[in-house]
Amino acid sequence: MNTIDDFMAFVEAELGLPVTADDATQDFDGLAGWDSVHLLSLISAVERRTGRSVSLADALEAANLADIYRLTARS
Amino acid sequence: MDGVEKRSGELLELHRAGRLAAEYPRVRQLLTDLPAVDLARAGRLLARLAPDDVLREHPATPTVSVAITGHGTLSALPPVLTAELGRHGLLLRPFLADFDSYVFDLGDAGSALYAADPDLVLCVLDPMIVFDEVATPWQPADVEQVLDEKLRLIERLAAGFASRARGSLVLNTMPLPRRFTAQLVGHRSRARLGAVWREANTRLLRLSEQQPSVITLDLDPLLADGVAASEPRMSVYAKAHLSADLLAGYAREVGHLARNFAGMTKKVLALDLDNTVWGGVLGEDGAAGIEVADTHRGEAFNLFQRVVKQIGAQGVLVAAVSKNDIEPVTAVLDEHPRMVLRVADFVQVIANWRPKHDNLAELAESLNLGVDSFVFADDSAYECGLVRHALPTVAVVALDDEPARHVERLLYEGWFDVRDLTNEDTARPRRYRDDLARKSFLDDFDSIEDYLRELEVRVRLARASEAEVARVSQITLRTNQFNLTTERLQTSDVQERLREPDAEVLAIHAADRFGDNGLVGAVFVRRAEADLHIDNFLLSCRVFSRGIEQACLASLLRHAHATGARAVTGAYRSTAKNGMVREFYPRNGFHTERDDGTAATFRHGLAEIAAPPEHISLTVDLGGESA
Repeated sequence: MNTIDDFMAFVEAELGLPVTADDATQDFDGLAGWDSVHLLSLISAVERRTGRSVSLADALEAANLADIYRLTARS
Repeated sequence: MDGVEKRSGELLELHRAGRLAAEYPRVRQLLTDLPAVDLARAGRLLARLAPDDVLREHPATPTVSVAITGHGTLSALPPVLTAELGRHGLLLRPFLADFDSYVFDLGDAGSALYAADPDLVLCVLDPMIVFDEVATPWQPADVEQVLDEKLRLIERLAAGFASRARGSLVLNTMPLPRRFTAQLVGHRSRARLGAVWREANTRLLRLSEQQPSVITLDLDPLLADGVAASEPRMSVYAKAHLSADLLAGYAREVGHLARNFAGMTKKVLALDLDNTVWGGVLGEDGAAGIEVADTHRGEAFNLFQRVVKQIGAQGVLVAAVSKNDIEPVTAVLDEHPRMVLRVADFVQVIANWRPKHDNLAELAESLNLGVDSFVFADDSAYECGLVRHALPTVAVVALDDEPARHVERLLYEGWFDVRDLTNEDTARPRRYRDDLARKSFLDDFDSIEDYLRELEVRVRLARASEAEVARVSQITLRTNQFNLTTERLQTSDVQERLREPDAEVLAIHAADRFGDNGLVGAVFVRRAEADLHIDNFLLSCRVFSRGIEQACLASLLRHAHATGARAVTGAYRSTAKNGMVREFYPRNGFHTERDDGTAATFRHGLAEIAAPPEHISLTVDLGGESA
C-alpha cells in the first residue's frame, strides 16, 4: 500500500465500502456507508497487512480516510 | 486451503454487484472452511445486507434473531456472527444494543431489546465490568466485593429475563488477563484473586443450571487453546474489552447454538476406517498390521476411537463407510484385541466398493433421516471432495495424515452440540439399530398391513410430565419432517405451556416387539372458546407410517368431543422439509378453512370421528376437563 489509491482499494475490499480515491478527504460524517465501528476493523486489517502497528489513539482522532492513510504510511 | 482466494473474491464481486441478497443460498458454500481472517472480512460484507432483502428473495431462509448487549464495545461481533451463521445456512437478524446498556436492556421490561423479541440474547461479559468499579489501590477482597455485587445483579437480570422473554439468554465466563493478576506482587494474594474470580465464573456457569433460559458459554477452553483474551489498545482506547479473535471464537460457539435452535443439529457421524479409525490399510496391512494402539500413531488412533465412542454414548449415530470387503472389517472390529470401537458401537458398518456418497444416501434413507443431518470424516482429500460435490449438505470433516489432529478436527465445529442431553439421547443408537432390524423384518412380509399387525405397536398418549419437558423441547428442535408448524420450543417455552391454564402439552410414547421407542412425539393443544386448537403436532421420523399419528389424532378428537368441544382446529406452515404432512389434517377428516400455499388452517366438526387403526394398542391419559 504505497499510494492513497492502493489504500482506498484496500478499504473498499476489507469493509465492502463503495469508496474510490476521490472519497479520501471526505469527512467520515459525510462518507456513505461509514460507521465509526469500521475504524477498529480497518486498523486491525491494516496492521495485519503491513505487519506494522498503527497508533490507535491517533486513528480515533482521524477525520477522514486520508488521515488514516497518513498514519499507516508513517508507522 | 484450496480456493479460499477464489471464494473470497467471488463474495466480494457479488457484494460489488449488489447480488448478495439474490445469491444468498450460494453464501453458505462460499464461506465453507474460510480461515478466520477471510471469514471476518466476509462477515463485514454480509453484515451490510438487510435481512429483509434476503428474505424477499429467499423467503424460506432459516432466520435467527440475536440481540447483542454487554459492557464494552461489541462492534466486532455482528459481522463475525453474521458470517458464522451464514456458514451454517442461517440468516442473522441482529439487534445491537447501545454501548454498555445491558443493565437497562435486561432490567427494563419496556426496553428496545425486549421489543425486538430475539431468539437469543447475547449479554457479553468482560473483565472491565468488574475492574471499572474497583478503586485503586485494591486487594483481592475489593475485587471479590465488586464481583459479588455484579453477580447478584446478573442473577437478578437473568430472573427478570426468564419472566418476560421467550428466548434464551447467553452469558459467558469472564477472562482474567495477566495484566490484572500481575498487579498483585504477592503470590498468595494473586492466588486469592484467581480463586475469587473463578468462584464468580463458577456462579455464572451454575446459573445455567438454575435458570432454564440461561446458557453460559465457558470461554476458558478457547483461551486455553491460545486465543488472546484482550488487546490492550482496543480495550483502553475503544473500550473493546475482548479481543476480536476471542469474539470470533465466541461467535463460532453461538453459531453452533443457533444451529441447534434452528433444528439443524447433526445426528449421524459417518466415518471412513483406513487411516481414519485405524492406521494403515486393512486390505493391504492385514488385521495384524494396522495401528490401533501401542505405537506412536496407534496411540493417536486409539484416542480418536475413544472420542468417537464418547460422542456415540451421547446419542450421535456412528456409522462406518469404508472401501473394503465387509468380512475382514467386521472381523477386525470385533476381534482385534486393542480395538476400542466394536461393531456394536456403530448403527451400521458399511464396507463395499461403491462410491461413498451412494452409501451415505442409502444409509440416510434406511435411517429415515436427511443427508443434511450427516457429518462425514475421512482422511482422503479425494473422498472428501467427492462427498462435498455429490452431497453438498453433508458436513465434511477433512482429516489428513496426522492422526494426532483427528480429535481436534472432529470436535472443532461442535456439529452435535445440543442444549440439554436427555435420556432419549443415550438410548438413540440402540433404537436406530432396532429400526434397521424392523426394516429387514418388513422385507419378510407381503403387505404393509401384515407387517404392522405383527409389529405389535403400543402407543401411549398422555400429558407431558415435568421430567419430560427437556425431551419434548428436543422433539421440537430436532424434528423437521413430521412437524406441522415447525415452531421450535426451548425447555423454558415448554414449561410455560405446561403452566398455561388453557394449554396442554401431550407426549406420545411408542413401543413394539423390537423394543421401546421412547417419547417419540408431542401434541400442543389449546382451548379457544368452544374449540380445541392444535398448535402443533410432531412425530419423530423413526416412527412414521405405522398409524401412530392417526391413532393419536383420533383419540384427541374423541377426547375433544367427550369434553364438550364444538370443533378441533389445526394449522400447517410449510417449510423446506415438512411437505409430507401438508395433507395430514385433510386426510384425517378435517376440512380446509384457509390455505395460501405456505400456511393453512383446518377444522374438524367432530360429527364423524374415524376409529384409530386396529393394529395399534392405544393407552390414553388426557386427564380431566381441560384437554
